[in-house]
Amino acid sequence: MIKFINVKKVYPPHNVVLSEIDLEIKPGEFVSLVGMSGAGKSTMLKILTREERPTFGKIEVEGIDLATIKDREVPYLRRKIGTVYQDFKLLSKKTAYENVAFAMEVSDSPLEEIERDVPQVLAIVGLADKKDSFPDQLSGGEKQRLAIARAMIHRPKILLADEPTGNLDLVNSYDVVKLLMKINELGTTVILASHDTNIVNTIGRRVVSLDKGKIVRDQSHNGRYVI
Amino acid sequence: MAMNLKHIVGTGWTNFRRNGYLSFGATGIMALALILFLSLLSFQFLTSQVVATLQDKIDISAYFTQDATEDQVLKVKSDLQALPEVASVNYISRDQALADFKARHAQDQLIQDSLAQLDTNPLTASLNIKSKDSSQYAAIAQFLNDSKFKSVIDKVSFYENKDVISRVQSLSTGVKTWGLAVALVLALIAVLVTFNTVRLTIYNQKQEIEIMRLVGASNWHIRGPYLVEGGLYGFFAAAIALVAFYPVIYLVSDKISSFVPQVNLFGFFIGGAFEVLPTVILLGVFLGMASSAIAIRKHLKI
Repeated sequence: MIKFINVKKVYPPHNVVLSEIDLEIKPGEFVSLVGMSGAGKSTMLKILTREERPTFGKIEVEGIDLATIKDREVPYLRRKIGTVYQDFKLLSKKTAYENVAFAMEVSDSPLEEIERDVPQVLAIVGLADKKDSFPDQLSGGEKQRLAIARAMIHRPKILLADEPTGNLDLVNSYDVVKLLMKINELGTTVILASHDTNIVNTIGRRVVSLDKGKIVRDQSHNGRYVI
Repeated sequence: MAMNLKHIVGTGWTNFRRNGYLSFGATGIMALALILFLSLLSFQFLTSQVVATLQDKIDISAYFTQDATEDQVLKVKSDLQALPEVASVNYISRDQALADFKARHAQDQLIQDSLAQLDTNPLTASLNIKSKDSSQYAAIAQFLNDSKFKSVIDKVSFYENKDVISRVQSLSTGVKTWGLAVALVLALIAVLVTFNTVRLTIYNQKQEIEIMRLVGASNWHIRGPYLVEGGLYGFFAAAIALVAFYPVIYLVSDKISSFVPQVNLFGFFIGGAFEVLPTVILLGVFLGMASSAIAIRKHLKI
């Protein structure tokens, strides 16, 4: 459950990137955030992971009020939220297996658990046979699937994807979107920020359109990206 | 938590090894800084020893006239001893002075013969005065000058030694203040260079830190390995500095002893080894960890 209540974000001095954002996302939803570059999609996602704080307004994630959360609690919040980015953000000096295991190591998971879970999640994204490959040896689509595997390793209730298909061709993009939908079917709330009309129209779920920092349209079923 | 710590220390050690050149550079710079610290320590020791030796050699003497009685001399002596700045007063009687003189010139037959011809003792009684501090000699000389027994005091040697005394004095204060100033400036430079080197190694892993934050690593998990890494730089730097420093001191110590026999530099560092070794190691580890802590701070903003 995610709630934005009258959220406003201003980058000093006067650059208003979000205003009057009211949005409620129920558990298990698949929401596409659409809009042109600079419409405020990424900022909304960054506010959810507490990389940015809103200038004004209230945000709730899984019952946690992000305005009152302490800095040292932020890592625990982030373990509840998986994130995927356009530029993958993989560690080039680590193998596919190590990239995923890394996310577990830094949250003190026991070794047995790491050895059990990492192969499982790699199998889910279809990279079981590439576990010893380095990111440079993977295709764009494989890199993004690996990033998704890493995002899912903590079994988060929410997965945020910021332009995950931005660097991919059509076929790979479609693979990634299918994977996101599969994850959603397994019960994870997915929020996808994208400006790719084709992708958004293929998904055909809830679409929230942003323009110049405001929500201009919210289609709850079979939404389409209308410019 | 034990598992946690093991992982943090293990990661720190891995980073230290994988960073190759940067680790080498940081350790080298810190080793230089620590050698500098050790050199300043020995320099401080040397100058204080030399100044102390010189100060020990300075004294003033009050020579009395021929007709001064022993009572008068002893009265002046006890007056002097009552002064807080006086360390010791040594009374040399006329007989003692003569005996000393004879002993000193025992080989010189001419002097021995001349002395034998005299009926009376030609030498005068004197007081040899040492002060606790070389800056006090002027005050003591002044005291003798104002004394009611001034009439029986022939001369006070201070006015002849004045130049040497003041030169030693200014040397000693100069070494203390300038040595401290130079030490502080050099320490500051060492900290800055170390800090910058560690910052460079952290910058090298900026991406890794960013990803750690994104996947929900706690701040201690991010900071820990870098603190360990910084501490390792410091530890190895201290080891290198000590291994390089002791043999050099051993060689230099010999040369110094031939100039100033009283000063045993190597002995000072061997005798103080139980203080010097932990100090240098702790200083190195502290320097490395503090530099890391400052350098990593910027990357921990949530």
